[in-house]
Formats: sequence, structure tokens, C-alpha cells
Amino acid sequence: MLRMVVLRLLAMIPLVFLVATGVFFLGQLSDVDPAENIVGPNATEEQVAAVRAELGLDRPALEQYADWLSGAVRGDLGESLYTKADVTTSLTQALPITLSLTFGGLLVGLALGVPSGIWSALRAGRAGDRAVSLLATVGQAVPGFWLGLLLIIAFAIRLPWFPAVGYVPPGESLTGWLHCLVLPSVSLGLIAAAAISRQTRSSMIGVLQQEYVRTALSKGLSKRRVVVKHALKNAAVPVVTVVSFQVTTLLGGSIVIERLFAMPGLGALAINAVVRRDPDVIQGIVVLTVIVIVLVNVLLDLSYAWLNPKVRSL
Amino acid sequence: MSEVKVPAAAVSGRSGSRLLSRLVQQRATLFWAAVVLLVVLAALLSPLLSPHDPLKGNIREGLLGPSADHWLGTDKLGRDVLSRLLYGARVALLAGLEAVGIAALIGIPLGLLVGYLGGWPDRIAMRIVEGVMSVPFLVLAIALISVLGPGLTKSMAVVGVVYAMTLLRLTRGQALAAREELYVDGVRVAGAGDRRILFRHILPNITPPLIVQVTLMIAGAIIAEATLSFLGLGVQAGQASWGSMLSDAQASIRESFFLALPPGLAILLTVLAFNQVGDGLRDLFAREAKGGSLGVNPVHHESGSGQPPPPGLVAADPLLRVRDLTVSFPQPGAGRVTVVQGVSLDVAKGEILGLVGESGSGKSVTAMSLLGLVPDPGRVAASAVELDGRELTGLSFEELRKVRGGAIGVVFQEPIASLNPAYTVGDQVAEVLREHEGLSRAQARARVVELFEQVHIPEPDKRIRDYPHQFSGGMAQRVMIAMALACRPRLLVADEPTTALDVTVQGQVLDLLLELRAETGMSILLITHDLGVVADVADRVAVMYAGQIVEGGPTEDVFRRPAHPYTEGLLASLPRNVRRAGRLPSIPGVVPPPSAWPVGCHFADRCPYARPQCLETPVELSARGDDRATRCVRAGELTLAGVGDVPAAGEPLPPAAGRPVVKADPPLISTRIEKRP
Repeated sequence: MLRMVVLRLLAMIPLVFLVATGVFFLGQLSDVDPAENIVGPNATEEQVAAVRAELGLDRPALEQYADWLSGAVRGDLGESLYTKADVTTSLTQALPITLSLTFGGLLVGLALGVPSGIWSALRAGRAGDRAVSLLATVGQAVPGFWLGLLLIIAFAIRLPWFPAVGYVPPGESLTGWLHCLVLPSVSLGLIAAAAISRQTRSSMIGVLQQEYVRTALSKGLSKRRVVVKHALKNAAVPVVTVVSFQVTTLLGGSIVIERLFAMPGLGALAINAVVRRDPDVIQGIVVLTVIVIVLVNVLLDLSYAWLNPKVRSL
Repeated sequence: MSEVKVPAAAVSGRSGSRLLSRLVQQRATLFWAAVVLLVVLAALLSPLLSPHDPLKGNIREGLLGPSADHWLGTDKLGRDVLSRLLYGARVALLAGLEAVGIAALIGIPLGLLVGYLGGWPDRIAMRIVEGVMSVPFLVLAIALISVLGPGLTKSMAVVGVVYAMTLLRLTRGQALAAREELYVDGVRVAGAGDRRILFRHILPNITPPLIVQVTLMIAGAIIAEATLSFLGLGVQAGQASWGSMLSDAQASIRESFFLALPPGLAILLTVLAFNQVGDGLRDLFAREAKGGSLGVNPVHHESGSGQPPPPGLVAADPLLRVRDLTVSFPQPGAGRVTVVQGVSLDVAKGEILGLVGESGSGKSVTAMSLLGLVPDPGRVAASAVELDGRELTGLSFEELRKVRGGAIGVVFQEPIASLNPAYTVGDQVAEVLREHEGLSRAQARARVVELFEQVHIPEPDKRIRDYPHQFSGGMAQRVMIAMALACRPRLLVADEPTTALDVTVQGQVLDLLLELRAETGMSILLITHDLGVVADVADRVAVMYAGQIVEGGPTEDVFRRPAHPYTEGLLASLPRNVRRAGRLPSIPGVVPPPSAWPVGCHFADRCPYARPQCLETPVELSARGDDRATRCVRAGELTLAGVGDVPAAGEPLPPAAGRPVVKADPPLISTRIEKRP
């Protein structure tokens, strides 16, 4: 088990390297010149060249890459061309906000998706099932930021229960932190819930037809026990797979939601960096998200082993 | 598995017309396709339909509500919302087409290529795809947009490149599969001609999933466009896009919430329509198996004929008494079909009753219905199901729970599939004890070890910690038997307990059942299609054919002198008789599906002795002697061949009526090859 985790973590290194290298050299192909952005539209060619030299952007691409890489392995991801802020510091400040949203969304998605999927599977084909399936289908078609906008209108403006925008760090006020996370987590999570619910329903339906479910019933167990103990654990494997896709989607989706709720997470950092092309910041964000996603997937692999004893004995 | 196969509605004709007729049945898909068409029309005709210029407005007419002039009101800059919405449809669809077009142009040819080439190009391509797909879609899009710079065309090109990865993977998988198939078929892949064969193999396979995927991708691309435009990375400021409209709506959210509704609903409806069409197409190409819910059905009480069944099916002091058991399933277009018709039988205390028949005869459904375990849409009714004098009909699921696993234990056909792969076998057996006898964890564990010893599982205290996949079929069946015996049941229902096992193991399991019957005095209802098994262990036998009991009586008598032509046919197909006769005289044909059962004798169309009168009226079970029953109109006149009546090699079967019977008394056939000491 430990060996698997270590192997997975080692396998992450080439992936991160590949992605970082790809992003770096793609950036070199860009015709957007940060130096032009910095000096402004009325600057002369000489002024732009001077800025370019000052930023080190005139060096050969390989040299810049080697410079970035040698810093990156030491944890120094460079600095923003515009704000001069240290990228590693900016990321460590922004990441907790994005992660709070991602996991808030995941929590909402699981809390709604799994029970509704089970409920739906148990009455497959009947009215209740059709209602849940319809909701899930609609849920998958809703753009998250629109849902967030509607939630702001309903629960921040009409009914002033939650803040419309802003972020309160948990260190400052734990209740304030939870409070400000509710609306963004729900806007992210409802869509994840739709996908999780659909998957839970379909794998539950498959498992309920398995012979061991009939065996469990033949033992005189209660329906609840048959469903919760015997069926759910077996139905969970494909659900976990969908959850791992959802983590990726949520992490991306939180970029938009952060923008909507004006939270200073990775999203705000990313959008500013993209508009004016701030290579180190973009690179840092991409590398960080890949690392987070690989870590989440290692965790999910561990849960596969718990759910499926056959994996364990391999 | 239950043997009930409700036949699907007859589908005939070529696959094309079948797809078309299915499509017509899918009203919902047609409806959503019409919605897609409407959106397309709105986009195409937006310059004609729009009442105002989408880009110009009078700022003094900002934030007006809906009116005759502005059906959906105006935004903060006084621009007409309806016009912007119509032009937004154009942006959304163009963006969708651009992204998906790029994805298809890159992904499909590359996928075919690497799938066709295999080897290192394939490995490199798949590594890149993996890398790209491990980054969240939006993060990747943003990183690439930072390279290309913002702008709708560039942004959607980026989305297309990301989508291309999905199409590449899908196409490559299909290409690989087709290639493998061709190698297996011995078609050598070399030269242009063979390459054409390859692509002709791949394209039909890949087209349906690709159409589905592309439809869903358009939906995804429309959301992506809206998202990027909302973030300011898509359309230029001021331009009409559903995403930028939502961004404007957010800016004036405190003054007017209405602005958030039209663009959001437009996105929702368009994306929903594309998704529904995609799902509908998927169902069209591959229908998802329906079903689900727990297979539980109580036995309803219904008064029966009141006539006692003939001898041969009754016992003097029955443990189990079943009268007029009927099981029916709904069938599309045909009301209900009855798969078990008026089954009445007794199982005496300590007796082993063999319930025999081919698959489709209804024997397993009969056994499962006693426990309320008939799959869901089925309906079970009986005038009486008594266990040790206690009436089970009319009991609810909860009331039957005490019986299941308590007074009645069950063993199924596929031991490994019948055990839950996610829990240890010890846990699964202990669960019955904890449920019914309220034992503590430690007590239950000790009792499980005892039970494992009783069913002869070596090293029981170790094996209880193993998972089902670590057991052989025979050992897993011993676990199932231990589980069924845990609460010392009065009746053991064994549904084809040896069918899935090796011949050597079959004998061992049967010996175990006999041994346990002797130890505990329980009765066994043994369901099997294998007359050899019945001959080995059953005291009495009931033969089922097409939902009815056709013969019953003591095993030895029935085997030596069958009273129903079906039983004769079954006996004639026994391997031992076959060996003597030198050929395999099996009954021609198969059990017809329940909807095709005739009014008269169900067996008539396969019966060598059938006469016109057999088909006229329902045939009742009648007594034969004082311990036999048969359901045959010609029972009195026929003399049928049993075990021992085997003709010399080359002599024709079936025997004619009145043929002299060999009086020799050979031992009954046995399937057991090896006996445990």
C-alpha cells in the first residue's frame, strides 16, 4: 500500500515536468510581449527593448527555461513581471481559498448527489426516479456562474442571509469563513451533485441486480442494511471515478466562481496573469493545480483499494 | 439468475429502419432536436428577427423592464436584451462549431493514425493526452489563451484543442480494437487494400460514439464560450454573447435582477437540448438495460381451486405446503404473462424434494417466490404457503425477514457471484447470526468457525478472514451452505447448488448436503435441471415444464417408470443412457417463451405421442396409482421408457407404446465420480 503511494508520487514528477515544460515553451511562441504591456502603447522601440532586457526576456529561451527550472526545484517559482510579487508567496496565499471552494463544492456535491442517486435507483423507472433524473439532467446543463448569480440575487440581495462577495480567512473568523463559503460552494456543488447523482444511480441499479444482493436479502436483512452495507460499497467504485473527474472540474470551476464572488484565489491571479501575460504566474498556477490533482487522485486510488479487496491483494 | 426471460418486443427489419422506428418512439429526443433547430434558426435569422441593433442603445433608456418595444427590456446601456440574446445565439453556436470542428479535425485523424500505427507513436501520443487531460480544462484553456491572447476565435480554438484530446482517445481506442479484431480474424494488414478494410471496420464502429460525443461537446463548448466571455477572455467588450450579457447583468445586479434571467435561461435551454439529443442518440445506438430496485415481492393470498393436488405431490406431515402458486410478469404490449401456473407441492419433514426442469420451466422462480425474492415487476400469489403450519402468504417484507435466513436457508447456483466481493466471508456468515440470533461479534465469530468445520472448510479460523475471490467454486459453495445453515433452518432451498461446479466437486457438495440433512433433520427443496443429481439425493421428485408441474412421485418410481412423455425425454437424455444407445437423443426444440404457451398441453409440440386432443383443453394433473401424479391426457394408454429401458445400440428411440420392458434392475445412475470417506 505504502509502496503504491510512493510510486504514484514518483510518477507525478515527470508529469509535472512535462506540463511545466509544455507551458513554458508554448509561452515562448506567443506574440504577446509583456514588455510592450508594461511600457504602454506610446513607448518607443528602444524603451520596450530596455524593459525587455531589464526583465531578462531577451535572453535565449533555453536559458530562461533553465533559470526558471532551477528556481522551481528549490521552490522558487519566480516573480510577477508586473507586481514583482513572489509567485510562490502569491500562490500559497491564494491556494487555500481555491481549495476551500473546491472542497466546499465537493462536499455539497457528495451530500446531495450520493443520497439522491441511491434514492433514485431504488425506485428506478417510477415517478420519483424520473423527477431526480430530470433535475440531474437540468443540473448538468446549468452554467455554474449563472447559478451563482441567481444565488446572489436570492440569498444575498433579496434575502440578505449571506455576503454577496468577499472572503473572510478562517484565522480571522471561523464562522465568517464558513458563512462566505456557503453560496460559492453551493453554486459549484450543485453541478457536481448532478453528475454524482447520475453515476450513483446507474451503478446502484447495476449492483442491485447482482446475485450477492439477492443473497443478502435471502439472509433476512433489512432493506436498509442490504442497500447501505451490501450494495453501496460495491456501487461506490465508479462513483469515486466520477468524483475524481469532478475534483478537476471543481478546481477549474472555482476560478469563475471566485471571480463572481470576488475572492482572491487562484482564479483572480490567473485571469489577471492571462490578460497581460505574466509567464511565471501562469506557469506556477498550472504546476500547482497539476500537483493538487495528482495528490487528490492518489487519495482516490487508496479509496479504491478499500472498496475493492481484489485491488488490495494485487 | 431467475430463468424468466420476458421476450423483448419483436424487432424485425433492417437495422436502418429499426433505428428510425426507435427514433420515432423517442419523442423526447425529437422534441429536444426541435429546440436545437429553433436555436439554430434564431442564430441564422438574428439580423432579421432582432427588433433593435444589439450593439447600440440609448443610455437614458437603460434598465427598462419588458415592454412592447423591448420585449425583454434593456440593459444598463439601453441596449435591447432580446436583440442581444438573438445575436448571442449566433456567437454561441459559431463558438461551439469552431471548437468541435477543430477538435474533430485534430482528434479523429490523429486518433486513427496512432491507433493504426500502434507502438511508440501511440505511446507518445497517449502520454501527451494524459498530461493535457490531467490539467483542469479551464486552467489549461486559460494558460493557452495567455499564449494566444484573449479573443473569441482564439479562445474557442484553444477549447477545440483540449476537446481534441478526448476525441483522439476515443478514436484511437476504437482503431486499436478493430485492428486486434482483424489480426484475430487472420486478415493481414498490409497494402492499401487491407488498409481500406481496416478503415471500413473502424468507421462503422466509431461513428455512433463519435456522433454522441460531438453532440455533447457542442453543449460543453457553448458553456465554455459563455464562461470565457463572462471572464472577459472571450468576445470583445460590448459584443453580444450570453456570457458577456451575464457579466453585464452582474454589474447592475443591485438595480435589476431580471437581466440575469434571459441569457442564463438561453444557455440552460440550449445546452440541455444538445445534451438531451446526445443522450437520446446514445440510447438509440445502445439501449441501457433497464431494471433496478430490490428484487422483493411478497406472496399475495388468493383463494385457489380448493382441490387437493393428486398424490405424489402431497406428503402426510408436510414441513412446507404450497398450494396454487402463480407468478406473473408484466410484458410490454401483452399485459401479463404467467410464468408459474398453479404449482402445488409438499415437502415432508426431513425429505429432499427434487424440483426438475429445463431452463425456462419456472422452477427457480417457484423456489424464489416462497421467500418473496422474485424480481421486481413480478407478482406472486398462492392460496397457501405454509411452513411448519405457519401461513406465509400475505406477510410483508419485514414479517418475512425472520423466515428468510431463519427458518429457510438458501443456496444459489453461482457461489462466488452470490457472495459479496467487498466483505470477508466470515463477516458475511456472521451477519446472519447477528441479525437473527443477536450474537455478539465474538460469539458470532466462534459460531462461524464451527459452521465452517461442519461444512468441511479446512483451516476455518484463517479462512473466515478471506474474501470471496480467494475461494474456489466448491469452497465458496461450502461458505454459502454454512451461511444458509447458520440459524439451523427447517428448510434449505438449494437452487442449482452444483451446476456451476466441476463434476468432482459436485459430488462432494451433494454428499455434504446429505450429511447435513442426516445431522440436522432439515428438509431440502433441491432445484436442478440435472436428473443425475436428483437420482443421487432426492427422495421424491417433481418435474416442471413450461410453468407447470407435469409429474410427481417417489424418485425411484418416476425414474423406472415415467408417467409423462417429458420425463421420459429427460431420462433419455441422461448421459448414462446415451452411452448405451450410442447417440444423444435429446428432446427436440426448447421450452417456448411464456407468451407462447398453448391452452392445452404445454409440451404437445415437442411430444412424440401428441394427439389432436392434447391441444384442445387445459390438461389437469391426475393421480396415477396411490403415490404418483401426471399431467398427460394419454397417461393411461402410454407405457414410457425409464432408466434401464435402454434399447440396444442402433435401435430407434423413442420407444413405441407397448414395447416390452427390460425387467433388469441396474442401480440408478450416479453423477458422483468420487466419494469423500
